[in-house]
Amino acid sequence: MTWHGRLLHIHIAPAASYEMEELAEAQLIAGRGIVGDRYYLGTGTYSPKPDVREVTLIEVEALEAIVNGEPKIPGFRAELAPEDHRRNLTTRGVPLGHLVGKRFRVGETILRAARMNFPCKYIEELLGIPGLYEGLLNRSGLNCAIEVGGIIRPGDPILPMDE
Amino acid sequence: MASPRIIMKLKVVVTRKEPGDVLVVELQHPRKPSLPPFEPGSHVDVHLPDGRVRQYSLCGDPADLSRYTIAVKREPEGRGGSAWLHDDIGVGTELPVSAPRNHFPLKQGNGPVLLLAGGIGITPLLAMAGVLNGQGKPFELHYFTRSRAVAPLLAEIEQVIDRNKLRLHFDDEPETRQDIEALLSTPPSDAQVYYCGPPGFMAAIARATEHWPEGSVHFEAFQPAILDDAPQEPFTIILRNGTEIPVPADTSALSAIRAAGVLLMASCENGVCGTCECGILEGQPIHRDAVLSKDARGHRFIPCVSRATGVLRLDL
Repeated sequence: MTWHGRLLHIHIAPAASYEMEELAEAQLIAGRGIVGDRYYLGTGTYSPKPDVREVTLIEVEALEAIVNGEPKIPGFRAELAPEDHRRNLTTRGVPLGHLVGKRFRVGETILRAARMNFPCKYIEELLGIPGLYEGLLNRSGLNCAIEVGGIIRPGDPILPMDE
Repeated sequence: MASPRIIMKLKVVVTRKEPGDVLVVELQHPRKPSLPPFEPGSHVDVHLPDGRVRQYSLCGDPADLSRYTIAVKREPEGRGGSAWLHDDIGVGTELPVSAPRNHFPLKQGNGPVLLLAGGIGITPLLAMAGVLNGQGKPFELHYFTRSRAVAPLLAEIEQVIDRNKLRLHFDDEPETRQDIEALLSTPPSDAQVYYCGPPGFMAAIARATEHWPEGSVHFEAFQPAILDDAPQEPFTIILRNGTEIPVPADTSALSAIRAAGVLLMASCENGVCGTCECGILEGQPIHRDAVLSKDARGHRFIPCVSRATGVLRLDL
């Protein structure tokens, strides 16, 4: 599968529950996370299970589908702006669901996809959007490790590696 | 359990001293023109640099979401939060502030509303009075302070609230004094009373409204209730999944629940904010909080300060 994607937005939050802030440039540190983000600082909310979430990504296509009323869940309707969804990177043209276990480039960095992100009730309650948990099932993005760190910026290309 | 709230880094845009050693702080979002909406009676949590969290009622107009306004009385005997806000913040300071939550909502109704404020307890009631005033609903705001000279926000109150709906009571002006028992002796039909103030004031109003109909009395405390000195007894909490958690005499229920691995959010840990509130399935609670209404005491529990006799089954 050949694809060429693009990085649209970078967001970080300094601690759990803090509003996300948009960055024009971010520094990714291999094995740790995005400088200034809660998972880099150790101030996020954690599942007690071992996990990899040095950086999290979500497809803008999923957000656009939600705005357009997909998936059809009775009573659910949401507009999820890039600063709302609490993932770090918003992408376009990247098949995140197909990348588990693979590596890919974002700008000058290399990420290794660990697992599909799973939505939690926390985000539904935090944003006050009933049904958001179900609305994000299977489209909640991708959790990744940082293999090669570096600087990334909105507009950077996102490219496959392990084809 | 209370739901999580977004924490915003808001900018202090105005600070102003008010009588009674009160600092008024106006906050704006650095990037967004509009803040999350709030109702009269709502409060925000202000996160202090040392990790502590303090609750302050929003006293501005709920129709103006360009800013939040809080009023902070310096509490010399407090735990340092108000002193930090008074001494260390200024225009431009960034303060982490949660989205508003309302434990003190105005009920919809057409009966008369009595708003009773003691000192800095005026903050949530000022927002309520402003809204009722604007809606043309029947209400009276009674404001009690030691003297006119220490009454915070008085100029604003006199500007916003119709004179015929405002009753000012100053201890040092005998002709303005009001006997609380007499004021509350006969509840008007369909009346609702809302009150907020220091512990002695809260206790006096609670006594004077004991005979009011169920559901007609509403309050918000900003300091812990006056507690008796009775020794604390151990008790047992049982969770929905059957887990038994012993609560020793010298440990709070909140600490015991957390030690058992249950993630329970809390904020003031003083029985004032209601963040750790949970439901009771069965058992005899000993309420020591200052947040639950008389009605809620039958089925809700504030584990940071409250206790129980024997076994308490919680909806956790």
